[in-house]
Amino acid sequence: MTFALQSELFFRRKLLETLRQPVWVITGLSTPLLYLALFEPLLRSVAGGSGLPAGHVLDVFVPGILTLMAFGAGMGAGWVVIWELDSGVIERLRVTPASRLALLLGTVLRDMAMFVLPGVVVIGIAIGFGFSAHWAGLALMFVLLAFFTAACSATSSALGISLKQIGSLAAVVTGVQLPLTLLSGILLPLSLGPEWLRVLGHLNPMYYTVQAARDLGAGTITTTTVAIGFLVTGTAAALALWWGTRSYHRAMT
Amino acid sequence: MSVTQPPPVAIQAHGLRKSFRIKDQAVEAVSGLDLTVTEGQIFGFLGPNGAGKTTTLRILTTLLPADAGEAFVAGADVMRSPQQVRRRIGYVGQLGGADGSATGLENLLLQARLYGLTATAAASRAKELIELFDLGAFAGRVVRTYSGGQRRRLEVALGILHNPQVLFLDEPTTGLDPQNRANLWNQVRQLRDSGTTVFLTTHYLDEADQLSDQLAIIDHGHVIAEGTPAQLKQRYSGDTIVITPAELPGSLLSLEQDLATAPFIRTAQIQDGSIRLSVTDATRSMAAVFSMLADKGIAVRAASLAQPSLDDVFLHETGRSLRDAGEPVGGAAAKKQAGEQVAA
Repeated sequence: MTFALQSELFFRRKLLETLRQPVWVITGLSTPLLYLALFEPLLRSVAGGSGLPAGHVLDVFVPGILTLMAFGAGMGAGWVVIWELDSGVIERLRVTPASRLALLLGTVLRDMAMFVLPGVVVIGIAIGFGFSAHWAGLALMFVLLAFFTAACSATSSALGISLKQIGSLAAVVTGVQLPLTLLSGILLPLSLGPEWLRVLGHLNPMYYTVQAARDLGAGTITTTTVAIGFLVTGTAAALALWWGTRSYHRAMT
Repeated sequence: MSVTQPPPVAIQAHGLRKSFRIKDQAVEAVSGLDLTVTEGQIFGFLGPNGAGKTTTLRILTTLLPADAGEAFVAGADVMRSPQQVRRRIGYVGQLGGADGSATGLENLLLQARLYGLTATAAASRAKELIELFDLGAFAGRVVRTYSGGQRRRLEVALGILHNPQVLFLDEPTTGLDPQNRANLWNQVRQLRDSGTTVFLTTHYLDEADQLSDQLAIIDHGHVIAEGTPAQLKQRYSGDTIVITPAELPGSLLSLEQDLATAPFIRTAQIQDGSIRLSVTDATRSMAAVFSMLADKGIAVRAASLAQPSLDDVFLHETGRSLRDAGEPVGGAAAKKQAGEQVAA
């Protein structure tokens, strides 16, 4: 009970912090819309070609954009954590009896919300452009990707606490971002690439999230791909939450 | 029959140790520290930067596990039952800790709820503190816009919100202007008068001297002297003579060394154009010093007996002045072995 209350208190604190900086709300929404506006026409010319699934180009593309949004919504957490370390906020909260997991969850839940809300807007716009919505699949896809945001957010917080420096965190996150997203087939399916690329892709946990999101976006729910996607993403989220909580236990400037 | 009971203890630590790895080298920040703090006192923890003050404080406030030793704060074991300690202590860190992106009121309300107050109780407690610390004019504003003094007031309010038995303040007046500093001192005294034990670290001599009821001086990770400021100054300093020469010679270092080896003199230090001597016998040393200065052709403009300061205590214990203890050891002050024996 106390734990739930504390998580809610921290969540509200974080949500308020975000709403006070509308810049983040705006860029959180404008980036995926720019993808839709600028990347979709590019993709349209290769749609239907070899290696690309059949169907409307948006049906292939939208789950990828949403996964990118989920990734972006979570990965920003570490920056604020470092700022909170430097201003002593975390130290002060660590001397209170508050649960460390609740402290972490405040940020994680906020990030999940900041993925879901703009995500719904993007879906609405995509439908207008011809994306065919399968409601049950879409709902499950949001659940899956919200778990993925949680994994990214907790990882980013843990990284921020251990690296302590904005510069180091930026280097690690941007260094990891490109191989992670490329090797997950987020924007272009990996089936377009050679064998070794596909092998590498299978070592990337994010690959399974994207595969499952594609299936769910197409409305196919009861596939092994979806089950594996949930299993991998859920495990990643659990591990990241454990790591993040452990980091909060020791957080020190 | 009345039995005198020992005063109740707020903080007790034995043999605390903590080392950090810095570039593959173990640096011992706290090395065998013992501490006893009586309830209801302002306890000053004085030492130069890097002496181990903050590390000790972090161990006592459950932020950092010690490598060895034990500590009890407000009746609970810091290592074994940190949650109990957390309920009973307040902490205002060196970095402050107010959330810059929230308003002062939001900061207070969240802190109150984290200590288990209901929404209604939290609101009325926040209101009380806003009045007590005179935060009303800006409590609705985001903390990022506060001045240094306003921010510090809010942070102290956050630290005492749940009426802790022991309040820890880490260098609370660093960066404050004299007026805010005086205000904070008054608040700390009021807290003590209302029964709170205050544990405060500082590297300011006057702050330790004027504010603390009891004082421990720390250097290189352990306590080197303990007592009331008055006791410490009396016990360690003996007589202090200040001589102002008409003109100081070029080689201050050799003058310092010569003076320190003169009879009846424990330490000699040249500071701001005057020579400060800690002596065992004021009358006889005065004569020796005058004749030595005369030999060197140094005319004396003024000479006086001075009140010993806490710096004299630190100087006597470490051979360094606390004012420049951050700098490399030696040079600034010379110390004589014989003097130590006389003092003991």
